[in-house]
Amino acid sequence: MPQRIIKWIDQRFPLTSFVKHELTGYPTPRNLSYWWNFGFLAGFVLMLQVATGIFLAMHYKADVALSFDSIQHIMRDVNYGWLLRYMHATGASAFFFVIYIHMARTLYYGSYRAPRELLWWTGQGLLLLLMATAFMGYLLPWGQMSFWGATVITNLFRATPFIGDMVVIWLRGDYTVGDATLTRFFALHYLFPFLIIGAVIVHLVALHTVKSSNPSGINLADKDNIPFHPYFTTKDLYGLGLFLILYSVFVFFLPDTLIEAANNIPANPMQTPNHIVPEWYFLPFYAILRSVPNMVGGVVAMGLSVLIFAFMPYLDRSRIPGGAHYRPMFRVLFYAFAVDMAVLGYIGYVPPTGSSIVMGQVATLIYFTLFLLLPFLSRFEDKWLIKRGLPPELEALIASEEQEKNKRSKR
Amino acid sequence: MKKAISIMAACCFVIPALASETRLEIVHTGIDAQTVTRGVDAMMADCHSCHSMKYIKYRDLITLGANKLKVDEWRGDQPLDAPLMAQMSAVDAEQAFGKAPPDLSLMTKARTGGANYVYSYLLGYYTTPDGKAANHFYPGTRMPDILGMSQATGDAQRTDIKTRARDIVSFLNWASDPHEQERHKLGYYVIAYLLVLTALLYLVKKQVWAKLK
Amino acid sequence: MGNEAINDGNRRNFLIQLTSVVGGVGVAATCVPFVASMNPSSDVLAKAETEVDLAHIPPGGMHTIAWQGKPVFILHRTPEQIKESEASNGVLDPEADQKRVQKPEWLVVIGVCTHMGCVPNKEGPGWTCHCHGSQYDDSGRVTQGPAPKNLEVPPYRFVSENKLVIGQA
Repeated sequence: MPQRIIKWIDQRFPLTSFVKHELTGYPTPRNLSYWWNFGFLAGFVLMLQVATGIFLAMHYKADVALSFDSIQHIMRDVNYGWLLRYMHATGASAFFFVIYIHMARTLYYGSYRAPRELLWWTGQGLLLLLMATAFMGYLLPWGQMSFWGATVITNLFRATPFIGDMVVIWLRGDYTVGDATLTRFFALHYLFPFLIIGAVIVHLVALHTVKSSNPSGINLADKDNIPFHPYFTTKDLYGLGLFLILYSVFVFFLPDTLIEAANNIPANPMQTPNHIVPEWYFLPFYAILRSVPNMVGGVVAMGLSVLIFAFMPYLDRSRIPGGAHYRPMFRVLFYAFAVDMAVLGYIGYVPPTGSSIVMGQVATLIYFTLFLLLPFLSRFEDKWLIKRGLPPELEALIASEEQEKNKRSKR
Repeated sequence: MKKAISIMAACCFVIPALASETRLEIVHTGIDAQTVTRGVDAMMADCHSCHSMKYIKYRDLITLGANKLKVDEWRGDQPLDAPLMAQMSAVDAEQAFGKAPPDLSLMTKARTGGANYVYSYLLGYYTTPDGKAANHFYPGTRMPDILGMSQATGDAQRTDIKTRARDIVSFLNWASDPHEQERHKLGYYVIAYLLVLTALLYLVKKQVWAKLK
Repeated sequence: MGNEAINDGNRRNFLIQLTSVVGGVGVAATCVPFVASMNPSSDVLAKAETEVDLAHIPPGGMHTIAWQGKPVFILHRTPEQIKESEASNGVLDPEADQKRVQKPEWLVVIGVCTHMGCVPNKEGPGWTCHCHGSQYDDSGRVTQGPAPKNLEVPPYRFVSENKLVIGQA
């Protein structure tokens, strides 16, 4: 019977061939490391956030007079409301954790390079959507940090030329962050995940056109590709198990470490907390904003610090395939970047004092310098590497892949 | 890549250490019914005249194990479902203290340092040279030294005050997170389950990949 | 995961089946909190009991109070009403009046028509439901359809002479 149903569908819709080509039989490089698990994990966390979010929305009230109380209602009265809310709040951090590792892997292994530019840019779009969604979601509990975070971030749009103040008021629907802002943020916070799902589909279509990258950076011939199922389904599920253990530790034992204490105080438009900080995942960018003494300059620098990733395919001009695996200088650059990110994150967290401001400015300068250094460094590096001779295993790999391709084209 | 992560992890541990300015006293709050119900008594006697706990209802106190007769006395003619509102109105309190005393339902979550902060604050009163009461942890606090730490003479009295403060903080801790024990209990089951499942998934993965060689 | 492609050898087969079962149990258990969150929350359940003061309901008077969000009719019956109710045994859903009351002078029924859930009005002797014309007598028993059953009696108890608690916690 199931056979007949599938046959009936297949005559009208390419179900079996789709599953075979894009899911089970999708050719995947056999040498992928566990760093390639994080794309699947991001998809999983997205689904988790949508599920918990929809159930939370059944109890949440988007009204300045009711929202804080409704969160307490969820935490205290709703059956397992505390679990759903902690899953959702922890899930936001987990999402960024997973996405940042996913991006770090892309940068380290040069997965953004041709022909994967569009794949990388759709990923960039997803990051921006994710940031917007997280930011709007953070207003919903209507605590002190929610309110002042939203106030500061909407004020960034004052940097818009000529009509800055009007734009800010339009975004808020009020002169300050108020009831209109809260209600529209709720509406958009519910909408954006579905835009994200749409963008994920585009991201996957792009991926399946150019296929997965791999640690060597060379596009592997057929003999080195294996079907996605069962090899990568089992590998992804094992990775998911490990991820869920870490996630559960936070959900059940450390949920409040990810929620600022001040957000347990209802929003008070008349009093700003002494020390306002964004969520950890925004800290490096927040540090860049604060490091530029000019308001417009700060906003532009912060915007650029996120968007500059999009230029990576053009900044990296090396002729050696891949990323840091066979390129020692690129590797140094990558680690310098990671350390600089960590420093910026720390600077974003501490209150601005004399020394931390200087440190932040130096780190901001280093941040952009690293990107601008890349075109020159990558050219210099490949001249140096070719003169010195490529590592024998890389030569062998390139030769064997070429041979394989020639054989196939002759046939 | 691994190095980068270990550096990031190191930063996570350094940040909280740098953030704390005044050394807080560490309190190990009780979760046993005795401590928490003593905390209810102390809270109703010492705090309730000025502070509300609007997310806690009289019914919750009975569920927690407080004496029903006492709860009936506290609530007077209010229904069991009434929240614990302060005896003093917000307007009166504002006149008396200059600002309304904060609601205590979420107090141990709403301050950096949590229960340790509230405990340290309650015990942090001292007498200044000009004879006024002041607080180490909240200079300029408008709350009087309700537990009498600044007037205490002798160790026995100080120990009593500390016990009382611990009882209050234990109750406040429960109030800010009533499902904490349930959460921890469920957490152990969930993580134990996930360890088993992940081990199985590891074996499946290993067997499937063994076919490749 | 239970795919034929990887089912070679019994041991592997068993491991995959075991893992699928364990994983399936986990997925099912994860659904529990989601489903449970849609059930009434604890503050709604706490409203399961309602206290009613009977002192101000005169004989012949009726009082409607909300219990779990539903109207409950409390009718203080006069001796004539009691006599009339006890004389009959109902029409469409026969039931003795004694079985429907704890004290003959107090009738407590849920004011929801057993037909389609409208609230009947007190008219003349008994109640009339204006949605579809069902009629009930002063014992809340249906005397004219389309309602199939008598008005339901909620759980209640007298805690003192003039105090009634509807519902059971």
